[in-house]
Amino acid sequence: MTDSATPPHASPAAPYEEPSSAPAHGADVAQPPRTDFIAAVLWIAFGIAVAIASWRMDRLTNQDINPYTIPGLLPGFLGLALILFGGLMLIRSWRAGALTATGRGRPNRMTASELRRFAIITALCVVFGVGLVGHGLPFWAAASLYVATTIATLQYPQRKAAGQVARGIVVAIVIGLCAGWAITLVFQDIFLVRLP
Amino acid sequence: MFNGLEYLGEAYLSFLNPTSLMYGMGGALMGILVGCMPGLSATLCIALLTTLTIKLPTNDAILILICSYVGTLYGGSRSAILLNIPGTAANAASCADGYALARRGEAGRAIGIATSGAFCGTLFGVLCLAAFTASLAEVALSFGAFEFFWLALFGVTMSGSLVGSDPLKGWLMGALGLFVAQIGQEGLYAYDRFTFGIHELSGGIALIPALVGAFGFAEVLTVLADPVERKLVELKDSTLPRFREVAQYWRTVLRSGAIGVMTGLLPGVGEDSGAWMSYAAAKATTREPEKFGKGSIDGLMAAETGDMSSIPGHIIPALALGIPGSAPSAVLLAAMILHGVQPGPMLMVTHPQFVYHVVAMTTLATISILIFGLFMVRPLLYVLRIRRTVLMPIIFLLTTVGAFATQSRLFDVYSMLAIGIGAFFLRRKGYPMAPFVLGLVLGSLLDKSLRRGLVLSDGSLLPFFTRPICAVLATITIFTMLMYVPLFNRTVKRVVGGALGSLRRLLPVRRA
Repeated sequence: MTDSATPPHASPAAPYEEPSSAPAHGADVAQPPRTDFIAAVLWIAFGIAVAIASWRMDRLTNQDINPYTIPGLLPGFLGLALILFGGLMLIRSWRAGALTATGRGRPNRMTASELRRFAIITALCVVFGVGLVGHGLPFWAAASLYVATTIATLQYPQRKAAGQVARGIVVAIVIGLCAGWAITLVFQDIFLVRLP
Repeated sequence: MFNGLEYLGEAYLSFLNPTSLMYGMGGALMGILVGCMPGLSATLCIALLTTLTIKLPTNDAILILICSYVGTLYGGSRSAILLNIPGTAANAASCADGYALARRGEAGRAIGIATSGAFCGTLFGVLCLAAFTASLAEVALSFGAFEFFWLALFGVTMSGSLVGSDPLKGWLMGALGLFVAQIGQEGLYAYDRFTFGIHELSGGIALIPALVGAFGFAEVLTVLADPVERKLVELKDSTLPRFREVAQYWRTVLRSGAIGVMTGLLPGVGEDSGAWMSYAAAKATTREPEKFGKGSIDGLMAAETGDMSSIPGHIIPALALGIPGSAPSAVLLAAMILHGVQPGPMLMVTHPQFVYHVVAMTTLATISILIFGLFMVRPLLYVLRIRRTVLMPIIFLLTTVGAFATQSRLFDVYSMLAIGIGAFFLRRKGYPMAPFVLGLVLGSLLDKSLRRGLVLSDGSLLPFFTRPICAVLATITIFTMLMYVPLFNRTVKRVVGGALGSLRRLLPVRRA
């Protein structure tokens, strides 16, 4: 328990070591102290907001309820817990050199290519989830359009390099239509689940 | 005792029909396929199948979910062995030895060992599930608000401590999950908390959209943002399960099975702890520790047995206490509630036969993975060859349907999108998602238990610390957190070191 409760990078005495390469999933990577410091400030601010909102929450005195059952009780404690944990992270990152020149480290930032792909995917997903779905367009059509566009967009660089852009678009449309049809069939027609 | 055996017999007979067998096998197959694909977790698989099976009768729906749960963790060993990427977090311990065997041209042998370890581990867990659930539920009947308060807090704290590499970030995510669970109408007076006048928030943030956002959409973003495709190791040798090696390593199987079930019983600990602890125990007791990490059969068997036996272990507290042992069992618990079965101490009173049905379902899941392990290894591996740019958009479609289907609200789709994008950034910064899920599931119980406890004790905090079970849980929870404080940690180590030194001096010295 001791070992798991105090990971090597968490020790105030342990110097910060830059990760040799950022793994794909980003989890379990020691963050530079500056990153944790900024995050800690945000956690504390969030905790203070929660605590204040809980304190100011209606105590339902007009309903003559038991004062130990006021709705803001647990949220208030959670706000305090967030402040406490955020404070511990702040102290830890400060002691690890967050405010020194080396504390900035090399943050686990996305590369330009990753950032571009992330922006494209997020935009496509949000347009589908917010704009296409549930606004009159049949689900199978919205789903086909989304899948075909996403596949064609993401595979475009490879298809272009191989001189197969037109083929790539046709394949993407076929996969999109199949996915839209199959999901509609399985969910709506076989398992009677309502689709957006 | 005899009632239990009668219920168990009836439960097994009730699943001996073509429909149930088809549902069970189908659920396991779906789970294996999802498990094979790195990043797609058991939590996501169960959440998506919960929406798919929402119109089915309770037993059929839960059968599919349990079989998919077992199937996903079993399937996760495939990518661990062939790609050196664990299909689910629980298979991470299998990577080192499994991949080393695959690199030596023994991928089939590694898959065979994983299959036999998984089968034996799950079977061991099923026996424990049948033996202990009813007894634990009986003990839990004496639990009150004070005990449930600590159980909920204990679950979130342990999950925060053991999942991921930084307990502080785990606890922050646990507190965030508990906070998100407070949004909407609270349980005692139907007062709207943190809704800011948005009436859709009155119902709270629903669990399934939150889960598919945190585990599905966030994974889609993570995988597609990374352009690198991994290379698959070729499968050349036989993949048949190696029961001769099970006989040879029977001590490992029994030890890992017991460790898996024990870790499963602890709320919030997760399947990966079962695998890692079994692996560590096998390494500590083997005569060939130098082979661990370099293709050790013992290590692979221990990891797979440990993670699979923890599945029934996690279902035990979910059924008996209503406290899930891991993120997937939290979704399973939510699915049971959606289908009108309320897990917890009263389950043995209201639905006594249900526990035995779950035992039968888990047995069917165990047999299913063995059958797929025997006959379907190579065809199932084709799923690993599907390009991610094709697979992930389809997974996103499923997460959208999953978010919408339970309550037919577009607001849930928007919640899923927001939580998914938030989870993507939090994961990149090293914040684990499992404590968030545990917090989300246990938030309501924690809130009600705290306030009911305070009413019962007329505002006194004493019963929260003086009742025997509360005292134990409170001590472990507070001690776990205090160990993170360097001064306390050093003091404890010094005291323990001093006590051990004194003990050694008291013992007779062995002379050469």
